[in-house]
Amino acid sequence: MKWYLVITYISLVVCIAGCLYHVIQIIRHRKTRDFSKSADTVGSAITYSFTKAMNPARKESAYLHVPTYIAGMLYHLGTFLSAVLLFVFLFSIDLYRTIELFISVFLMVSILCGTAILVKRIFSKLLREITVIDDYISNILVTAFQVCTLVYIHFSLPVYYIAASALLLYIPFGKLRHAVYFFAARYYLSLFYGHRGTWPPIKH
Amino acid sequence: MEHLSTHTIEKGLEILRKFDDGRFLTSINSCVHCGLCADSCMYYVSMKENAFIPAKKVALIESIYKRYYTFTGRTFPKLIHAKELNGETTAELIDLFYGACTLCGRCNIHCAIGVDIAYLVSIGRAMLAEMGLTPPTLQSTVDAALTSGNNMRIATDDFVETLKWLEEELRDEVNDPDASIPLNEKDRNLLYTLNPREPKFFPLSISAMAKIFYAARESWTISTHMYDVTNYAFFTGNLNEARIIAQRMLDEVKKLNCRELILAECGHGERAFRWEAPNYLQTNFDFPVRTSVELLAQYIASGRIKVDKTLMKEKVTLHDPCNLVRSGGIIQEQRYILSKTVTDFVEMNPHGADNLCCGGGGGQLSMSEYNERRMKIGELKAEQIKKTGASVVVSPCHNCVDQLLQLNSYYKLRVKIKTLAELVAEALVLE
Repeated sequence: MKWYLVITYISLVVCIAGCLYHVIQIIRHRKTRDFSKSADTVGSAITYSFTKAMNPARKESAYLHVPTYIAGMLYHLGTFLSAVLLFVFLFSIDLYRTIELFISVFLMVSILCGTAILVKRIFSKLLREITVIDDYISNILVTAFQVCTLVYIHFSLPVYYIAASALLLYIPFGKLRHAVYFFAARYYLSLFYGHRGTWPPIKH
Repeated sequence: MEHLSTHTIEKGLEILRKFDDGRFLTSINSCVHCGLCADSCMYYVSMKENAFIPAKKVALIESIYKRYYTFTGRTFPKLIHAKELNGETTAELIDLFYGACTLCGRCNIHCAIGVDIAYLVSIGRAMLAEMGLTPPTLQSTVDAALTSGNNMRIATDDFVETLKWLEEELRDEVNDPDASIPLNEKDRNLLYTLNPREPKFFPLSISAMAKIFYAARESWTISTHMYDVTNYAFFTGNLNEARIIAQRMLDEVKKLNCRELILAECGHGERAFRWEAPNYLQTNFDFPVRTSVELLAQYIASGRIKVDKTLMKEKVTLHDPCNLVRSGGIIQEQRYILSKTVTDFVEMNPHGADNLCCGGGGGQLSMSEYNERRMKIGELKAEQIKKTGASVVVSPCHNCVDQLLQLNSYYKLRVKIKTLAELVAEALVLE
């Protein structure tokens, strides 16, 4: 087995172990008992939290910032796509040429979005106020991974595996861990609003 | 800020360790610093100061937590900008968590991820309270409640005298010498609480509720020992003091053996007792707790009181108190009441669970040092009111009513501010 593949496999194991650690932390610190009398809408609030509450038409963070929202969504989709492709490459699954073309175009768009987000972070005074080195590293690692994925589809260069390994190793330690915590955050928010009857909203 | 002792710092950090529950853990690890929450915060929108972005508040407490409790923060603090808890960060915490947040929670629902930002601010306040760094102006309100039994330091004799005077007024108004405001009666259906602002500044809201109880032929009482629905320790973050205040109310319900506790129109009072107190006291309440808003809606829906909506000729709008609505789930009841008591009702935009805070929440009304900011963020509410064209603003929260009265004068809105009970009492048809 090639040395860069060995590094990638090790990084993958570290990443999975690190993410599992966070999952265990979330489970271990799960919600303590709430003694107040529930409004009994927790179940539907959880569904609402992961569906309609994410509707861009309901979130100011989306509808007041449409370009950033769209860029963010495409960038995330590009990241998920690149992650899937990593497994495709690691396990030598063949891709059809037509799919390759589609993926390449999509990744190009995603890379542009990621770069735009990075540029915005660098030049926006507001964002600089809340940005830490971790934010830059996370953005650069993810974008670099996507660029290398795009290149690897057409030219099988080992640097792809180095970029993948760097990203995998970083995920559990930096802000990219939000890939795990995002789901828990939405769950807890729905517990809060569902317990009190705020979610799901009733139309009037 | 002056140098903090190691002991003080340890007390603050202990709170962070103690609150290491799932809700806290997920929120502290989820913020991606996208900054898209900025436009959902009244402080940022009205003042455009980057320090007021909700994500900045999250970043501050996150940086302290991670410095002490995470591998990355301990090993590579600069990577994640992990900060030590010291005089500098503490001063920043005080200014942002007490002085630039009403705990309205609007950022929560608009956050792209779902970070419970208001909860993190509450924990930051709990840290500061434990370190003895609550703003003295806010703490004095809690101290008043702890030492006198109510946050306005109203002497019991004065309170009783006010209620007796209101009782006389009620008898005249309903033309019934037996009409009463029952005090400290045992075994009644309802124990009714008050916001101390009512006996102190707005006695007519007590009259309104008494008139409604009279019309409904309700079996009710007010305690002269513990009637204060507020719990400002919820705002300071001092859980021990919040617990003491909540325990007093619980004891009073037990002592008077009333079947149900009705919380007066007070957003944070409702939240603090109905939703937080059972957790402060680690007990399930074995009696129902409702707001007067729900009770009024039930009276009207069941036909227990009759109202005539044509009596209100003016255009009315509604201000939703954040704690009652977004954090309390009481959204439809007040609208139902308004549909039965006014003919010309107009919603603000946005409203309901998406409402804008009036600016008086989170203890801001008590902290005079932040008055300028409070009036500035209130401009958004003032603009909302103006746009409705209403001449009457109703709000089921005395805290909000107080802030709205100040906005009314400051921004020359020329509107009348009323509680829901006052509106219902005006529409009441006595048989």
